[in-house]
Amino acid sequence: MYQNKSSIFLILILGLIIHKYYCKEQTYVHNQAKPARFHVAEFNFDHVSDVYAITLWILLGSLAKVGFHLSHRLTEKFPESCLLIILGLIVGALLYITHLAEQKAYVLNSDTFFLFLLPPIILEAGYFMPNRPFFDNLGTILLLAIVNTLFNTLCIGLTLWGFSFTPLYGGTVFDMLPCFVFAALISAVDPVAVLATFTEIHVNDMLYIVVFGESLLNDAVSVVLYRMFDSFAKIGQENLIPTDIILGCLSFFVVALGGVLIGIIFGVVACFTTKFTEHTPVLEPLIILVYAYLAYLTSEMVSVSGILAITFCGMVMKQYVSFNISKKSDATTEYVLKMLSSIMETIIFMFMGLSTVSDHHSWNTGFVLMTLLCCLVYRVIGIAIFANLANCWRLLELTRIDMLIMSYGGLRGAIAFALALILDETKIPRKKEFVTATIAVVFFTVFVQGITIGPLVKCLNVRRKQIEEPTMSAKLTNRMMDHVMTCLEEISGSGGSNSLRDKCRNLDRNYFKRWLLRETPQEKMDIKLLQTFKKINMQSAMKVHDTSKGLVPAPSSSAIHTSASGTNLRPESTFANFSQILAANLPEQTVPDLMFFENHHGAEQYRDDAQMHHFLDTNLYRARPRATIHLRSQDESAGTDGVAHNRFEKSYHHRNHIYIPSRLDKEQIHGRKAGKTSGGTGRSTASKAGSSNITHSHTHSHSPKHHTSSVSKQQNEKLRSASPVSDQKQQQQQQQLSKTRSKSPSLSSDQPIRPSSPTTEMYRPSPPISIRIDNDDDNEILDGTTAAERICPWRRSSIPDAARSTSTSPVNDPSNTTQTASNTNDPNLHPGPLTSANYSGTYHKSPEYLGEYATTTKPEEHLSRPNIRDLFNNQSRIPDEKQENDMETNSDESTTQL
Amino acid sequence: MGSNASIMLQQEDLQNICQQTGFTGKQVQRLYSRFKLLDKRDCGYLTREDLLIIPEVNINPLGERLIDVIMEDYGENNQINFKQFMYLLAKFRQGKIKSSITNYNTRESKLRFLFDMYDRNHDMKIDRTELLDVLKMMVGGNIHEDQIATIADHTIGELDKDGDKSITFEEFCKTLERIDADDKMSMKFLS
Repeated sequence: MYQNKSSIFLILILGLIIHKYYCKEQTYVHNQAKPARFHVAEFNFDHVSDVYAITLWILLGSLAKVGFHLSHRLTEKFPESCLLIILGLIVGALLYITHLAEQKAYVLNSDTFFLFLLPPIILEAGYFMPNRPFFDNLGTILLLAIVNTLFNTLCIGLTLWGFSFTPLYGGTVFDMLPCFVFAALISAVDPVAVLATFTEIHVNDMLYIVVFGESLLNDAVSVVLYRMFDSFAKIGQENLIPTDIILGCLSFFVVALGGVLIGIIFGVVACFTTKFTEHTPVLEPLIILVYAYLAYLTSEMVSVSGILAITFCGMVMKQYVSFNISKKSDATTEYVLKMLSSIMETIIFMFMGLSTVSDHHSWNTGFVLMTLLCCLVYRVIGIAIFANLANCWRLLELTRIDMLIMSYGGLRGAIAFALALILDETKIPRKKEFVTATIAVVFFTVFVQGITIGPLVKCLNVRRKQIEEPTMSAKLTNRMMDHVMTCLEEISGSGGSNSLRDKCRNLDRNYFKRWLLRETPQEKMDIKLLQTFKKINMQSAMKVHDTSKGLVPAPSSSAIHTSASGTNLRPESTFANFSQILAANLPEQTVPDLMFFENHHGAEQYRDDAQMHHFLDTNLYRARPRATIHLRSQDESAGTDGVAHNRFEKSYHHRNHIYIPSRLDKEQIHGRKAGKTSGGTGRSTASKAGSSNITHSHTHSHSPKHHTSSVSKQQNEKLRSASPVSDQKQQQQQQQLSKTRSKSPSLSSDQPIRPSSPTTEMYRPSPPISIRIDNDDDNEILDGTTAAERICPWRRSSIPDAARSTSTSPVNDPSNTTQTASNTNDPNLHPGPLTSANYSGTYHKSPEYLGEYATTTKPEEHLSRPNIRDLFNNQSRIPDEKQENDMETNSDESTTQL
Repeated sequence: MGSNASIMLQQEDLQNICQQTGFTGKQVQRLYSRFKLLDKRDCGYLTREDLLIIPEVNINPLGERLIDVIMEDYGENNQINFKQFMYLLAKFRQGKIKSSITNYNTRESKLRFLFDMYDRNHDMKIDRTELLDVLKMMVGGNIHEDQIATIADHTIGELDKDGDKSITFEEFCKTLERIDADDKMSMKFLS
C-alpha cells in the first residue's frame, strides 16, 4: 500500500516535470516556427478531457461516499442522498463562480441521465427484486402505479392550471397543457430517491415493495403522460382532435406492455445464452449486463418504457441465470451491479445539486408553493383512496400507518428533474418556472421527507424489516404453509394467490427451466429448501470462522474455540451423532471459508493459514466428501444408493490412482464385507460407527489421558501386530493411510472392529497400505500426546482446554485422531484435520476436490445469497461438470487459492 | 349450479354453521356448492379419492399428507361431511379483525393444524421420523437419505430446547413467532 502511494506520487511528479518542459517546448515551437521535432512526451488534455472529467466525477462521488460513511453521526442523521446533493450544491457553486459551469460536461444532461446513469440503478433494482413480496403485492402495486399516478397527474395538473386564474402566481400565465406536462413529470414517485431512502430506513418488505414497486412501474404511466401532454402542447391546444387523446390512451398499453415484453424477451435470450457459456465463464457477467442494457436501449429506441424493460429483464435473468453461470460469475455480476448502481446514484444526486446552481431559474413563489402543496396533498389523498380500495382484496390489509408511510415515502427525484430539463422552451414558455418548481419539490421531498421518514418510522413503530438468520424450521414451515394453503384453496375452490403461484411455479418448472437452464432440476425437488439449508450451514461456518478470528493459533483461546464449535456451528450439539451428520453437510461452506480466509487475512497472517485450515476442518469436517456423494446422487436421475456410490468411486478414479487398490486391500483385509458395500449402507454404518465413537469420546473427554489410553487400548486389542518403525516413517505412513482410508467410505465403519494381525501381515508386501494400518495404531500407542492434541496440535500447552475441544468436535474415533495427528506432523501436507475419517483422503486431494465440488454443486447452489456474499468472490467454481478433463485445470486453479 | 346447491342446504343448518364458524351465509353457500361439486357420487360426504382427484392437490407434494390429516382429524372413516368440511375450512378464515375471530381461526389453531401435519401419531411431539417423512415428501425423491436426515436433525436441533430430540408444540410455535403465520395461513373465501 505504502509503496503504491509513493509510486503514484512519483508518477505525478514526473508528469508535472514533463508537463512543464513540454509546455516550454510548445511555446518555443510556436514562437520560433521551427520544424517540428520529436517530443519525448506530450501533454494533451484535450484528447482526454471529457473522459477525464467523467472519471474525476466518479472519483469525487466515490470519495464523497466513502467520506460520509467515515462519520457515523452524519450518516445516521442525514440520508446519503441529502449529503450528496449538498456536496453537489457546493461544487456547483464553485463551478458557477469560476464560470466553468457553462461548459456542458458539468451539468446534468438528460441524455446522459437516461442513457447512462439511470439504467444501472433500475437494473440493480430489478435484479435484486424480492420476487415473492413483489408478486404477492402486485395488485396493489399496479393499482398505485397506474391509477394513482394518473389520479395525481390529473389532479395536480388541473389544480395548478385552475389557480392560474387567481392572482396567486403573480400574473404569470400558465396554459393548461404545459401544466399537465409538468404535472405528469412531477407526480411520478422516483425509484432512485425511494431506493436511496428506503434502503436506509429498513421498513418491512411489504411496505418497501409497495412503495418501490409503485415507483418502478409508474414509469410507464408517467412516460406516456409526459410524452402525450408534451406532444399535445406541441400540436397546440386548439388543434387537438379526440383521436389524439384516444391514441394517447392506447399508447399507454403499448408503452407498458411493450416495455415488459422487451424486457422479458431480452431476459430470456440472456438466460438462453448463458446456457452455453460454460467454457467462457469470464464473459458471463458481461453478457448479463449487455443484454440488460440492450433491453433498455431497445425499448428507448422504440419509445416504450425502458425502465419497465430493464426491470423485468433483470427479474427474469435473476430467476434463471444464476442457475447457469458459475458461482464466481454470479458473485461478480451482483457485485458489479451493486457497484454501478451505487456510483450512479451518487452521481445523480451530486449532479442534481450541481445543476441547481445555474441561470435557468425563475422563482415563482406562488407556483412553487402550490406545486409542493399539490404534490403532498394529492399523494396522501391518492394513497388513502387506493390503499383502501386495495384492502378490499388484500389478505394482509394496509393499516393507516402503512398508508401514512406510503404517502410520506412518495419522493420525487432525478427523473422528474431530467424530464423537466428536456422540456422545449419554445413550446412551453414557462420551462424555467417548471424547472425551479421541480427542483423545489425534489429538494423538499428528498431533504425534509427523506430526513424525517426515518424518525417517523421509528416513532410510529412501523414493523421493521426483520434481519434474521434463516432457520431451517422456519423455512420448512413456510414451505409447508404454502403447500397446505395451495391445496386448501384448491379444495375450497376459492383459487387465491397461493394456487396461482403454484400454477406459475409448475409452468416455470415444466417449461422455462427446461429450456433455459443447463440442467433441469429434479422434478418435485424442493431446491429452495436445500438452498436454505446450505445457506444456514454456510453462515454457521462463517460464524465459526469469525468467532475464531485471531484466536485460532493461541492456546489460551481454545476455550472460545470450544464454544464456537459448540454453540455456533451446531446449536444442536446435544446430539452427538446428529452433529456428526450435520457436519457432513457443510460442503461448500468449507470452501468459501478457506477462500475467505485467504482473501481477508492478508499476507501477514499466512503463518496462521495452517491452523485455520485445521481449525475449520475440525469444525466442518466430513463436509466435502459427503457433499460429493450427495450431489452426485442428486445429479443422477436414477440415484439409488449403489449407483450413487459407484459414481462417487468413479469420480475419483481418474485422479486418485491409489484409490482402488487401497479399497480392495481393505476389503481383503477385513474379509468381513463380502463384496462392495453399497454406498448407502456403507455410509450409514459409517455414521453409526462414528456416532458410537462420539459417545465414546464424550464419556472420556473429561480426562484427556484417560481418553487416549482408552482409545489406544481399544486399538491395541484389535491390532496385536504392531511393528515398531521409526517415528518419521510412521508419520509418513500414517498420512498415506489417512489418504487410503478416506477413499473408501466403508472403511471407517470397520475401524473399530479391525481385523487381527494375520490378515494384515498377509498383505504387507502389497501396496504399503496394510503396513500403515499397523503402524498407524502403533503410533497411537507410542505417541504420548492426547487425542485432543492430535486434533489440535497447536494447543499442546493447554491440555484441559484441548480436551474440551475434543469433546466438542464430534467425531473422535481413534482413526480420526490418528489421522489428524499424522497430518499435523507433516509440513508438506495440508495440516488439515482430516477428522472426516471416512473420506478424509479427499482432503489431501482438496484442490481436486474443490474442482470436483465446484462442478457438482450447480443444481442447488444458485440463489444462495448469504449476507456474506461479497466475501466469496474468489470462490472457485468451475462450470464444467461433464468434462472430466477439465478437472486437472480446475484443481490447479483451486490449488493456487488454497 | 350454485343457487341450485344452496337450496339443498337447510336454512337452519346454514345459520348454525354461520354462527359456529363465522362464515357469512353466502360463503357457506358457495362452499356448499363446491362441496357438492367435489362430491361426485352425491352421497353427502367426501372421501380421500374425491379430494385426491383434484389435479393440483394430486401433484402437490404434501397433498396426500394434507388429505390424511383432513380425513383423520376432521372426518371419520375416510369420510368428511359438509359440517366437518366447514369446520376444517373455518380454521383458515381470515381473522384479522377482533370480531371475526372465532375459536376456530385463532393463530393457535392455525399453528396447531400445521403441527398436526407433522405429528401424525398425536403424541404432541414431532419426532425425528415424523419430520423425516415430511421432509421426504417435500424435498423430493432423488436426494440422498443422509442429506435429508441431516436436514431433519438440523431442524430438530434448531427447535429443540429441552434436548429430547423431538419438537413440542411450544417449541414449534416459537420459531413461527417471526413469521406471519396468521396471514399466510388465511385465505379469502369468496362470497
